[in-house]
Amino acid sequence: MNLRQWAADLRLGAKFAFTGGREGWTRVLLTAVGVGLGVALLLLTTAIPNALTVRHQRDEARSDYTYSQKVKPKADDTLVISDIDTTYGDKDIRGRLVEPEGPRAPLAPGLAKYPAPGDMVVSPALKRLLDSGDGKLLRERLPYRVVGTIGESGLIGSQELAYYAGATDLARHINGWQTARISEYGTPNPTPSSPDPVLILLVLVVFVVLLMPVAVFITAAVRFGGEQRDRRLAALRLVGSDSRMTRRIAAGEALAGSLLGLVFGTVFFLLGRQAAGELEILDISVFPSYLNPSPALAVLVAVAVPAAAVLVTLLALRGVVIEPLGVVRTARPARRRLWWRLLLPVIGLALLSPMIGKGRSNGDFNQVLVSSGVIALLVGVTALLPWIVEAVVARLGRGPVAWQLAVRRLQLSSGTAARMVNGIAVAVAGAIALQMLFAGVEGDYTKASRNDLDRAQIQVQLSRGTGADEAVAKLRATRGVRAAVALADGNLGSTSNRSPDGPKLSSSATIGDCAALRQVTALPSCRDGDVFVVTGAEYDTDTPALAKPGKQLYLDTSQGMDTGREVRWTVPRGIRKVAPGKDPSGMEHGGFLLTRGAVPAGAEQPAAQVYVSTDDDVADVREYVRNTAASLDRFANVTVWTRTEESKKFASIRTGLLVGAICVLALIGASLLVSQLEQLRERRKLLSALVAFGTRRRTLSLSVLWQTAVPVALGLLLAAAVGLTLGTVLLKMTATTVAVDWASVLTMTGIGAGIVLVVTLLSLPPLLRLMRPEGLRTE
Amino acid sequence: MTPPPGSLLAAENLRKAYGPTTALDGAEFSIHPGEVVAVMGPSGSGKSTLLHCLAGIVTPDSGSITYDGRELSTMSDARRSALRRSEFGFVFQFGQLVPELTCVENVALPLRLNGTPRKEAERTALAWMARLEVDDLARKRPGEVSGGQGQRVAVARSLVTGPRVLFADEPTGALDSLNGERVMELLTEAARSANAAVVLVTHEARVAAWSDREIVVRDGRSRDMERLV
Repeated sequence: MNLRQWAADLRLGAKFAFTGGREGWTRVLLTAVGVGLGVALLLLTTAIPNALTVRHQRDEARSDYTYSQKVKPKADDTLVISDIDTTYGDKDIRGRLVEPEGPRAPLAPGLAKYPAPGDMVVSPALKRLLDSGDGKLLRERLPYRVVGTIGESGLIGSQELAYYAGATDLARHINGWQTARISEYGTPNPTPSSPDPVLILLVLVVFVVLLMPVAVFITAAVRFGGEQRDRRLAALRLVGSDSRMTRRIAAGEALAGSLLGLVFGTVFFLLGRQAAGELEILDISVFPSYLNPSPALAVLVAVAVPAAAVLVTLLALRGVVIEPLGVVRTARPARRRLWWRLLLPVIGLALLSPMIGKGRSNGDFNQVLVSSGVIALLVGVTALLPWIVEAVVARLGRGPVAWQLAVRRLQLSSGTAARMVNGIAVAVAGAIALQMLFAGVEGDYTKASRNDLDRAQIQVQLSRGTGADEAVAKLRATRGVRAAVALADGNLGSTSNRSPDGPKLSSSATIGDCAALRQVTALPSCRDGDVFVVTGAEYDTDTPALAKPGKQLYLDTSQGMDTGREVRWTVPRGIRKVAPGKDPSGMEHGGFLLTRGAVPAGAEQPAAQVYVSTDDDVADVREYVRNTAASLDRFANVTVWTRTEESKKFASIRTGLLVGAICVLALIGASLLVSQLEQLRERRKLLSALVAFGTRRRTLSLSVLWQTAVPVALGLLLAAAVGLTLGTVLLKMTATTVAVDWASVLTMTGIGAGIVLVVTLLSLPPLLRLMRPEGLRTE
Repeated sequence: MTPPPGSLLAAENLRKAYGPTTALDGAEFSIHPGEVVAVMGPSGSGKSTLLHCLAGIVTPDSGSITYDGRELSTMSDARRSALRRSEFGFVFQFGQLVPELTCVENVALPLRLNGTPRKEAERTALAWMARLEVDDLARKRPGEVSGGQGQRVAVARSLVTGPRVLFADEPTGALDSLNGERVMELLTEAARSANAAVVLVTHEARVAAWSDREIVVRDGRSRDMERLV
């Protein structure tokens, strides 16, 4: 056999693909769409690691490392920068105040120049938000004039909300954690991109789960119009082509669809790449330019997917004898063997087992082992299902005519039924495993908050120098705020901080008005000027020695940032002892409790925490509080407390997963429908004949339902078993407590069953049409 | 015009069109119990449409069909289906045996559709298969038997309910002459012994030779050859 003959046969097949009339075109288009989806999905998946790396590199390149105890001296190449991130709704906003101190101040990536004081440059997504009606409250919080946008190189995602605002007098606020003087951007110690191992697991499972239905769709598509193709192939045999040539011609037909699919796939990928720029998942968005698959992988996809489509066609023709007289007989299928089918899931489990217990923090998962294990386990479903369907339908009892017709049909060709259901089984197994993984990991990430949400729901951390009284007054006057109290912390030492070894004994001081101190512990009575000492607080050993009336102590309210500004304070007479208690944030306060009147004159205004209680029935109350805080203090840090942290994020992922699973199952449903219709068309004459001798339409409709429902039911049972096993293994790998999420198991299997009903309902109108007597006409 | 006296099934002035194509244009027909009538004509003449109308598979656009004194063309679909199940039998050229059922299950199918229990249905089916000399194929599937054997199984199925009228549309069309002859011999013999009328649509004179009477259909009109003689 020479290459020229091969090429000629394939070319002839390709020609038939496009000249086969409406059915031929439909098959080519369906194949092309299936292959296109597969190609696009693979290209997008191969581009994800690159996208995450680019994000990581850009994030490191713009890093303004502010955590330093050492303050750089001012120079013409320095810049003072403040981290004033905020939140709007559920969106985080990266905010920076900048004040270049000289002409050579480092320029942040993505900026052409720094905005002047009162101006800001914003990310395109933030600009859109500010320009929209939805951004009205944010506009109040960011009272700067927009003078430009941040370029792509300065952002880590297309949907990132970020801004740089010009400011003055920032140097005064340098504090080693929020405001710093820098002379360059970038991380001092760059780290290689290392995505979360759980994220890798998710991507791998999603990859397999998504691709399998696409493969099923392609299988269904290449079989579309099979009867006409078989007639054509038989005619070719009649004019002298041998069986191998005929198969090559059939492969050529599939290849034409695949090549068109490559074009479709490239278009889908480019569209998907563009669309990906508009998406944000898990607070991660990317720019289309990030999604560049590595050339080697792209070439591999371009070769492997069409080759797979051709292989599917050849496999579909396996056991089919094409004879010159147009007779196409299905050879009696060989009995299916169980042993090698069991091998796949066993190999899968064996590959995954070494990684059990690795945990999510140090989860250095071997990607090859994980992906091979997950694939082997899920592909094991596709290998086991035909055996199970065959074994079970062979034992199914006799019943009414509809049942008998369906069961006999399944007994004759259980492989076709199993192939149709394989996609659903893999998708459901994968989705159950993912839902379990999410449910488990969610428990890991969502810890019950220690904050007391009955007393306060928002914490506002003010910067030094901001008056607590004014802040409390303004916050209390804010719409939707029920109450606000401010507490500040200080340090009391037996000697001055400036003494060579620091104070020998020290204790803490909590400062607030009587209402605020009552949030810390129960007070017998309280007037401004009173002082209390907490006895028996955890880890508090020095206070008893310090709490002696007349003892002179040193009060420092700078929280360690400005060790020269402490003031002397004498422990007053009549100091009362109180029991330890916790403030609304759950922190225990020991040491001394000082009302404002007890703080000696000259002490610096401490940085206060304001605990705000809100009326959640007032819409946007959190934004009102954030806006008030920002107007009071541009460095204020607002934290909204929730009963559980991160729960919302995971809820949205699980919803997304459910929607994704439904989309995948809908795609499989479409394949099922195509196969079902094709089968019905092939049986058109038989259906008409059955109706002619009086078979009720209901009987035939019911037999179609059973014919789909029996293998789907078996597939769902297997999927549930494999899904639960895989979910358990994945959870064990992430060292998470194993718990079965029965709700998601039922939901996923319910959706699978729903697909069967929908497919049956949709195939009823064509079925009724095919039962018409026209099917009996031969002329 | 009234149907000929004693006729079991008769049609008058039947008209049927499929879109712009007229299939029947005033065709007439009658058959007596136990009679074998061949409907002949070239391809596309309307003979199969006539058979479908007579069997209540399609309804004519106009005209009358009476079966055993009852007007067929105005019956509901459900009643016509019931009639086909219980009183009519059918043999077609292609695609009539359900490939996934065994031969005996195929033959028993009309009985089962009528509500006969499976065992009883299969017993009766086996008896008919024996008469048609195909009882040794009982457990084989249609794909495993030859064309002639399959057609004999189909004849057994058409007679298993004890029909009063058997409709055969080109029953030997896919068979060689030897097999065709044997099928016709068994079919007419079995029908006559059961006193079933046979409406035999064919375009082959040698098949029509098995009939008692011939009707020729051309351009949707019928001519009774006996009357012409």
